[in-house]
Amino acid sequence: MDSELEPALVIINNEQILAEHRLPGDLAMWFFILAELTVFAILFIGFAVAEQLNAEMFIEGKAKLHQVAGLMNTLTLITSSFFVALALNAMHAGDGKKSAKLLVVAKLVASVYIAVKLWEYLSLFDQNIDIETNTFFTLYFMITFFHLMHILLGMVILTFIAVKANKNEYNASNITGFESGASYWHMVDMLWIILFPLIYVI
Amino acid sequence: MAYGRYALDNTLPTYLCDLTPMKTLYSNKKNTLSWLWLMILTVISTFIGLVLNNKTLFIGTVLFIVFLKGQQIIDVFMELAQAPKFWRRLFLGYVTVLPIIIGFIYIL
Repeated sequence: MDSELEPALVIINNEQILAEHRLPGDLAMWFFILAELTVFAILFIGFAVAEQLNAEMFIEGKAKLHQVAGLMNTLTLITSSFFVALALNAMHAGDGKKSAKLLVVAKLVASVYIAVKLWEYLSLFDQNIDIETNTFFTLYFMITFFHLMHILLGMVILTFIAVKANKNEYNASNITGFESGASYWHMVDMLWIILFPLIYVI
Repeated sequence: MAYGRYALDNTLPTYLCDLTPMKTLYSNKKNTLSWLWLMILTVISTFIGLVLNNKTLFIGTVLFIVFLKGQQIIDVFMELAQAPKFWRRLFLGYVTVLPIIIGFIYIL
């Protein structure tokens, strides 16, 4: 019996080593994430350069933003990402129902982000500030709205994988779709982590 | 004769299959600690301007915190710590180089 199991255990050990050095999710998704990161990097650098060229306008513009709203949005996105990470752990453990519930919690937390962002936009509109007010607000609305679109796309992806997880359609050998969706969501979180200090703090 | 995972799934008892590689590489505890660290860093970076009067030091600290937070997300949430080094280095490079470029633009 032992001699029969030995070759199988060697395979397991080899697969464990491979698993510890494998890329989670689909390779195509990582290239897509890289492309998204590049676009945002250009926007962030453009914002920083524009700030150096229009220092006074940017100081006045930033003073009109609600820093606590920015802080709240950062905390909600980090928390949402945390629940997605827990959902992936649950799925790895084979518990699709629990994973789906954690994804729903992640989406509920993310909806707080959307509500706060919309409140921020509306309060700026109330002050007669919009995308055409000046360079600062053009860039502010452009970058934050572009990011918001990514949040909405991420929520659609999370819904899709939550439905599949609830039906237990993922398993140990078929989980790359889940991992790809989770990685996309973490990317959206990571982008906000750079965006927040750039627009609200510095 | 079957090889690889197909062979494993069909020949080994469950208690051995449980040793297969797709088991969670990160525990919920590690994710929770990472989440707490990210929350603390976020609050620090938001209010650090109240105690740091030097512009260069302030910007440098905030951007260093961006790197620390990015590293947590990449290594723990994205699970790239166990991924091929190329991918981990690529993403860590992003949260290193971008804050440096932004820092130079603001400070110079």
